[in-house]
Amino acid sequence: MFGRDIYDASNENLLDLTRRIAENLDREKSITRDYLVELMKRYKVAEINVIDPDGIITVTTHDDFLNYDMHDEEQSAEFLPLLDDTKTEYVQRYQPTTYDPSLYRKYGAVCLKRGGFVEVGYDAERFQQDIDENVVGVTKNRHIGENGCIIIADEDRDIVSDRQNNEGEKLAVTGIRIDRETMPEGELFRSEVYGQQCSCMYVFAEGYYIIAVMPENEVVLQRNTSMFLDFIRDILIFLTLALMIFLLVRLLVLNNIRQVNSSLARITEGDLNEVVDVRSNVEFSNLSDGINATVGTLKQYIADAAARIDEELAVAKNIQQSALPSVFPPYPDREDFSLYATMHAAKEVGGDFYDFYLVDEKKLAFLIADVSGKGIPAAMFMMTGKTVLRGYAERGNAPVEVAQNANTKLCEGNEAEMFITAWMGFLNTETGLIRFVNAGHNPPVLIRAGQASFLTMNSNMVLAAWSGFSYCEESLQLEPGNLLYLYTDGVTEAMNDAHELYGDDRLIQALSASFGEGDTACRNVCSTVKREVDEFVGGAPQFDDITMLCLYYKG
Amino acid sequence: MTIEKMLEEEKLTVVLGGELNTMTAPELQTAIKADLESIKNLVLDMTNLTYISSAGLRVILSARQKLGSRGDVVLVGANKEIRAIFAMTGFDKIVKLD
Repeated sequence: MFGRDIYDASNENLLDLTRRIAENLDREKSITRDYLVELMKRYKVAEINVIDPDGIITVTTHDDFLNYDMHDEEQSAEFLPLLDDTKTEYVQRYQPTTYDPSLYRKYGAVCLKRGGFVEVGYDAERFQQDIDENVVGVTKNRHIGENGCIIIADEDRDIVSDRQNNEGEKLAVTGIRIDRETMPEGELFRSEVYGQQCSCMYVFAEGYYIIAVMPENEVVLQRNTSMFLDFIRDILIFLTLALMIFLLVRLLVLNNIRQVNSSLARITEGDLNEVVDVRSNVEFSNLSDGINATVGTLKQYIADAAARIDEELAVAKNIQQSALPSVFPPYPDREDFSLYATMHAAKEVGGDFYDFYLVDEKKLAFLIADVSGKGIPAAMFMMTGKTVLRGYAERGNAPVEVAQNANTKLCEGNEAEMFITAWMGFLNTETGLIRFVNAGHNPPVLIRAGQASFLTMNSNMVLAAWSGFSYCEESLQLEPGNLLYLYTDGVTEAMNDAHELYGDDRLIQALSASFGEGDTACRNVCSTVKREVDEFVGGAPQFDDITMLCLYYKG
Repeated sequence: MTIEKMLEEEKLTVVLGGELNTMTAPELQTAIKADLESIKNLVLDMTNLTYISSAGLRVILSARQKLGSRGDVVLVGANKEIRAIFAMTGFDKIVKLD
């Protein structure tokens, strides 16, 4: 088994080299001697000959061979089947060359695309190397010894290769005597080799004796020679298996793994529709199915999560909408003032709110507010804010106190660190005086006789951000027929596709008009602004809640 | 939005570029979170910041609260619009504007 492997490995090596040389030649338009010499050096072979379809050497690295006819000798004639279609490749055993019997060379040949074939020769030294690499190298790694060697002799027991340059001598000069009748192959025997006592083993393969020699003083397991035997055998088995496994893995697995990997790469980049379809064997079929199932599950989770988020947003919207007074006109029996308010929630609900209540017969409290967060937390904080403000307002406190107390209350337990901007006014329905507090909110617009202008006012700290701030009360005197328009920044910061903001100027422009009287006026104001904003925004999505409240004072 | 951080001793300087809005505010929050524990002063360079929304204000508020009485939040290079927002919301009372 030992010898067979080496023989096969050596053949395969030479054929491989010859094939590669043939590939290089196939690529050339015309083959020159210099090119052959270059190839010879590159591939470390001893000889390259190019034979034409008639069997004549037409290009060669050795000028002596030029025009040699392969038909002439028995040895070279063995290659002739390459000229018809019976063979495309051929390799010969090591044998003495016809032109120089002391020179041992091994020849391989491969057909060329242009016709004819290329013949490559390499030397016994190379053969020795193959064996060394295959066997002695391995044994070296196993630390069996540094001075072990392999001796190769032919069937006449003439040395082909050894480490002591005895090529051509009789095997006996090494000290080894082999008798195939009495000494079986693959079994340990002892002999004095090059003057040293050694353990040896030989195989006879394809006309050659291949003898492994190991100095005894280096054998680690001196006492137990059968273990030594098994050890060497195991190494060879291991080596062969390793080689086979490597080739198998490379052929089957790596190619498939590459395919699977590239599919996986596409999936992790976000293309969840990529399907892994490598089905060349059962394992890969299962792997493909497994990956596809995982991706399928992932897509399902994502879809479920998205559905959940949409549900939550719907809940938030509900909370928001149901919390705000939506019956208009809210006080139909009152003729001294009118109110109208709307809130258009963005997809991701933003926590805007408005509120109004009659604190008493003569006092209308009304406000607009904007919570800084989004989604359910904002909706819930909005509820809290609305309740707190109403609580303090209904007690009859002055606006400043309402703001201050509400602020302190809302700062407590505000883990999410949201804040609320708010504008709150108390209208004295008899006098038309509004006492108001602005907590960081954008200024309302006063519409007087078709002229719209922003209310100038102090700005105070927003609510729920920082306790301990003092708020400042201001007042505004309304004349009969005046409209006061409150809104949140969803109006002025509405954005179109060109990333432009609707802005303060456009708002003033939209509001500088006559809107009629009473309830109609309030509705008109709100619907006008909403329409203008919608037109401005066009198809772009709505980012923030658009909330507005309009008060008409008649007096 | 671009965020560049420079940490010196007890002061963290953050240079912002672009817009500090709902999308980008969480990035800023994450970027300064760890350093807030150890520093005394936070400087926000807003020279290249074009817009700030309430989401951005929240991050600043949160930073201000975390620093507490240890130190200040200072805004540098804020443009007119941004200053107006800080004035309107009263935030100019809790941060220092240059």
